[in-house]
Amino acid sequence: MTPAIRITNLTKTFGSKPALRSVNLEIPAGATVGLVGANGAGKTTLIKCALGLLRPTSGQCALLDESAWSLSAKAKGRLGYVPQVISLYPWMRVRELIQYTASFYASWNAQLTDRLVREWDIPLDDRVRGLSVGQKQKLAILTAVAYQPDLLILDEPAASLDPQARRQFLQLLVELTEPQQRTVLFSTHIMSDLERVADYVAMMQKGQIIYFGSLEDLKDRTHLSLEDAFLQMQQGVANG
Amino acid sequence: MRLRIEPSSGMPISRQLADQIRSQCVAQALKPGDRVPSVRELARELAVNQNTILHVYERLTAEGWLETRQGSGTFVKVNPGARAHKIAQTQSLLAQLRQAVQQARLLGITSEELHDMLSASMNLETESDTQVERRTL
Repeated sequence: MTPAIRITNLTKTFGSKPALRSVNLEIPAGATVGLVGANGAGKTTLIKCALGLLRPTSGQCALLDESAWSLSAKAKGRLGYVPQVISLYPWMRVRELIQYTASFYASWNAQLTDRLVREWDIPLDDRVRGLSVGQKQKLAILTAVAYQPDLLILDEPAASLDPQARRQFLQLLVELTEPQQRTVLFSTHIMSDLERVADYVAMMQKGQIIYFGSLEDLKDRTHLSLEDAFLQMQQGVANG
Repeated sequence: MRLRIEPSSGMPISRQLADQIRSQCVAQALKPGDRVPSVRELARELAVNQNTILHVYERLTAEGWLETRQGSGTFVKVNPGARAHKIAQTQSLLAQLRQAVQQARLLGITSEELHDMLSASMNLETESDTQVERRTL
């Protein structure tokens, strides 16, 4: 099976500052992958290059069998993205924003939308501008999953959610990732979330992937919590 | 089925769940013929990857604790190995306790203090899952 995301020798520099150094990563179709790394490790840059939102300095990013930089409309329709900094039309009412987004997608699942609005307490009649950060995050997640994309990429989706909302989000993620049906890549600082829902973990440090592998293998081998394994691995790389 | 996950333990979640289900079978909290939740139901309830739950069920089926009946779900099976499992688990528990006692001696902890610590740990055990979850979140 072709990987859902294939990143080859990806380098990205901002001015003279390297953000990604020769990154190679293949994400198998149907897998849920958690991306971890300290602030500034390059997670968001990697995600943006993988999505074709940033042009690589060198190297290639392919997703859903196409080059990320020249993605077809069809491939974009199979792709869901929740950015770290959420920008939604502030003047729209929540109901309007949902209807507007739905109008772009034939595969929009109205039943799932109604259920999430109910379960997540999303205020349909409020203006987007008046929503709290957490509510905006919920709305961004809703509009990214409701058209049932084959590939879902989320940049710190749970960062502003309270514990209850985070649990609901994880439950949704688990539900959406029926074995072998959908590929998910999400970055997070919350290791316990990652341990619950991910098949694989990718660890980043200073613009490089320092580990990619199955979460279960990692634990079986190290007998450490993910957090401790990550800290140890970071230390190991730092000490050369 | 009451299951508890410690995501930040060094033990893979699949092993945590398999251990708990085995123990519940041994303790008869799960009796032969009981239906266990489907992979999908349990994954959602625990907010754990469906592949992980699938892996646990496959492993427990291979070991003879569970059986899948076509079209009607997964059930607890009569397991002739349950007694042997309990004996082995008890022995391992005893070894752990001996080790703890030895460590307590080294630290100068009295027998009374140790008993108090044991009671406190047992009280911790009866906390509701929600409380434990909240702590681990």
